[in-house]
Amino acid sequence: MLKEGMELIDAHFKEEGISRRDAFKMFGAGGAAMLLGSGAATEAKASSSSAKAKILIIGGGLAGMSTAALFTRSLDNPDITVLEPTATSTSYQPGQTLVGAGIWDASEVTYQRDDFVPDGVTLIKEKAVEFDPENNTVKTSGGKTLKYDYMIIAAGLKLDFSKIEGLGIADTITSRGDDSAVRKVVGKNGITSIYFANGAADTWTEMQKFIADAKSGKKVKGVFTHPNTPIKCGGAPKKIMYLTDARLREAGARDNAELTFYPNGSKMFGVKEYHDAIVNQFEARDMKWNYRHNLIAVDPVKKIATFNRHWKEKGPYDEDLEEYSIVPRSEKVEKEYDFIHITPPMKAAEEIAKSPVGSGKGWVPVHKETLQHVKYPNVFALGDIAAVPMGKTGGSARKQYKVVVDNVVSMMNGKELTSFYEGYTVCPLITSIGTVMLAEFNWTKKPTPSFPLDPTQERWIWWLLKVYALKPMTQYGMLSGRA
Amino acid sequence: MKKTSIVLLSAVALFALSGCGDAPKSSPEAKTYSKTSAEVYEQSCKKCHGDNGEGNVKKKGPALNDRQAGELELDLFDVKNGGTNQSSGTDHDIMEHNMQKLLAKGYDYDPKDMAEFLEKSFYKMPSKTAAPAAEEAPAETPAAEAVPAPAAEATPAAAAH
Repeated sequence: MLKEGMELIDAHFKEEGISRRDAFKMFGAGGAAMLLGSGAATEAKASSSSAKAKILIIGGGLAGMSTAALFTRSLDNPDITVLEPTATSTSYQPGQTLVGAGIWDASEVTYQRDDFVPDGVTLIKEKAVEFDPENNTVKTSGGKTLKYDYMIIAAGLKLDFSKIEGLGIADTITSRGDDSAVRKVVGKNGITSIYFANGAADTWTEMQKFIADAKSGKKVKGVFTHPNTPIKCGGAPKKIMYLTDARLREAGARDNAELTFYPNGSKMFGVKEYHDAIVNQFEARDMKWNYRHNLIAVDPVKKIATFNRHWKEKGPYDEDLEEYSIVPRSEKVEKEYDFIHITPPMKAAEEIAKSPVGSGKGWVPVHKETLQHVKYPNVFALGDIAAVPMGKTGGSARKQYKVVVDNVVSMMNGKELTSFYEGYTVCPLITSIGTVMLAEFNWTKKPTPSFPLDPTQERWIWWLLKVYALKPMTQYGMLSGRA
Repeated sequence: MKKTSIVLLSAVALFALSGCGDAPKSSPEAKTYSKTSAEVYEQSCKKCHGDNGEGNVKKKGPALNDRQAGELELDLFDVKNGGTNQSSGTDHDIMEHNMQKLLAKGYDYDPKDMAEFLEKSFYKMPSKTAAPAAEEAPAETPAAEAVPAPAAEATPAAAAH
């Protein structure tokens, strides 16, 4: 019944349409208000505790600040410090795709950190530079030494364009904050990246030039990359391609553009159902793809992207394996582009990766269900920097921060850790202007839809959810520890 | 916009957003494995990763005794699933292929359980002060197979790929 009802509603709105103002009223204001109401469940669950402890949170982005907010609501005597150097750390990153395609203005996703510091929380506008978890201390960039009873690492990740030769970029950047090292090359001459805030705005400028060229009758090529590292928002490299396709169609210039996706991996999605759906969507739009290509260099003058193309060949028989072994092969291939969207390699900040709380791969190693550090029981990590499979979305952080707060409060009260993260992630995959496939999944690698609808379908209502509801939910629900 | 649309849309919003607050339940049927992690290691893994997880340079099998359960589990997840991200691919191209062959031969295991087995049996702690953080013992006790004493002359981690 419910399913048919929702199908009808979806179809209804597709036909009737909805004005932005109406949608905002419904989803924006109403949605946020409703969340405050539905937050009661969370509030009740995070049992109020009179236990006292010094809690230090490294990073005041979405994950860190939401954690701080929920702690203040869960503890009678909160003693919480957040370290966050970037003034716009609480900006709405999931909106950068929409900025990149000119649907939102950059100002619509920019939010000031200082407006989101929960009452009673101490903010230090510095970053952590040294970790001494044996002695429960952290040194800050301003030379302070901070002592903690519990440390929560939510420092996010760094975008590492320096791995791509030819761009002349030596420094890593974050999605907000000083991006001068990257912006001097990325965001110009057809080279774009929505992964940093200014880059998203520049993407729209460059995309318009690309579309104008196509419209003028020139045959143009668009290249979209996906690196060989874990990335935040695994769907964004494809979303910006779908939106480029949509904008070209809108301009009546699609036939003059060839769009190709070059991911390092060999599939569209780790969940088969979504992989299949995406392949069908690509085919329907004449969007091309070429697996096993890792971007290693860009020549901004000649407009050539160089990829490491890799594959496997059959090797000699292996007696232990009782199979033929496999030999890796690779070669460099060059592709011309007029417009390239780069998803840069990503990594944990050096000062954390190489510290005792880091790991060989850099990410902070935690037990993936409790989010407790594998070596230091009073250290937890969440968000992009945590070494958990499949995560690195706002949707996963939204499940994780409640787990972390629950478990730390339990520890403070001398109890067992009873809150477990199940790997939930959501990717609202924008497939055109007006449709979204709401890909929800977890470690079972099966779709885990929150709604009784076929999750592999592109739908107008999920577009409304993405464009009107998720932002207020995140900015006013999650960042105050209520959703 | 018509009144009915607004009512309908409100209904969707209400449903959608309240639905968002609930953690989706993962499938209740837990997967069962015909062999324990210790048996899988003994019968298969050790041929290339060494009796004590020290690695085997000749077989290009990297050491498994240098990481704790959390990190190992992430690697095993990557190996079994061919990556942990939508289109990033895997860090273990060769082993991903081999793993599929081994799974077909019945050497299947739960990554978490295997990671805990490896840590418990082989992990060489770099610093004696670091206390293991595991708050619970793995469910299954790998009685006879467990080889707690790590080899003294463990080979340094062979570069995987």
